[in-house]
Amino acid sequence: MMKREIGAADIEVFSNAICEYFEAASGELAQVRSAYLLEGEYPELWSGYHGVIPVHGSFVGSVCFSAPKPLLTHVLMLMGDKSFSEASHLDLVGEIANTLSGQARKHFGETLCINPPLAFNGKHKPVSPKGTGKPYAIPFTWRNYEAGLVVDLIVA
Amino acid sequence: MRLMIVDDSMVIRNRIAILSSNPLLGYVDIVAMASDGEQALALARSKQPDIITMDLTMPNMDGEECIGHLAKILPEARILVVSALSDRVTALRAIRNGAHGFLLKPFRDEELLNSLLELKQ
Repeated sequence: MMKREIGAADIEVFSNAICEYFEAASGELAQVRSAYLLEGEYPELWSGYHGVIPVHGSFVGSVCFSAPKPLLTHVLMLMGDKSFSEASHLDLVGEIANTLSGQARKHFGETLCINPPLAFNGKHKPVSPKGTGKPYAIPFTWRNYEAGLVVDLIVA
Repeated sequence: MRLMIVDDSMVIRNRIAILSSNPLLGYVDIVAMASDGEQALALARSKQPDIITMDLTMPNMDGEECIGHLAKILPEARILVVSALSDRVTALRAIRNGAHGFLLKPFRDEELLNSLLELKQ
């Protein structure tokens, strides 16, 4: 199979997954903005927590969900979590990354093999498996919190 | 109902535990919680759950493999897959391997309740 970079139709699947996730969590849609090629620094607005899903199978690369702590605290509250611990925040950021990646299998099929999430807390995006090296960033707002998803995949 | 919750996310395990205390489900005894398939198998043997919620993407042993083993060691147990893996092939394979229902993440509270009620009947 020829190597192929993912395109607009592929990215739309992840944008839709973001909308579905936050609608299910809160009944409120996230305001997802246009995706763009992330060529420079990782957006500082998203700094906080990062959940990375390494991908293998017919695809190579990773999907990274990033969000500030207050967004995650808000979702934990909606889920009935009472601890609001560091472990809960790390767990949730990984779980959201996992859910958004899993949703994409509706479009890509089972050959998008998803590994369990890696979760980090820090200002900078963690090093994650590279696909194209030209990742797409999908920024969104939910309840005034800024967050985003970075998709770096190539069809191997 | 003797419930075992299997998911590598602590937040999801806690959420399912909270929702399973809904009176609509009657008395639910959470007999075990596991974060991967290996742990789930060991706990299933000792705790004998009759309903199991099962994630698919987990470290050590994934949910698909675990369902296959559980179908042999606890054939009476009913298994609800709770997973984000949204492709049709994965859902059908889980059912063929021994699962009795499939709930896609992200799920709403009432969707989990309805799925557990269906499994209980």
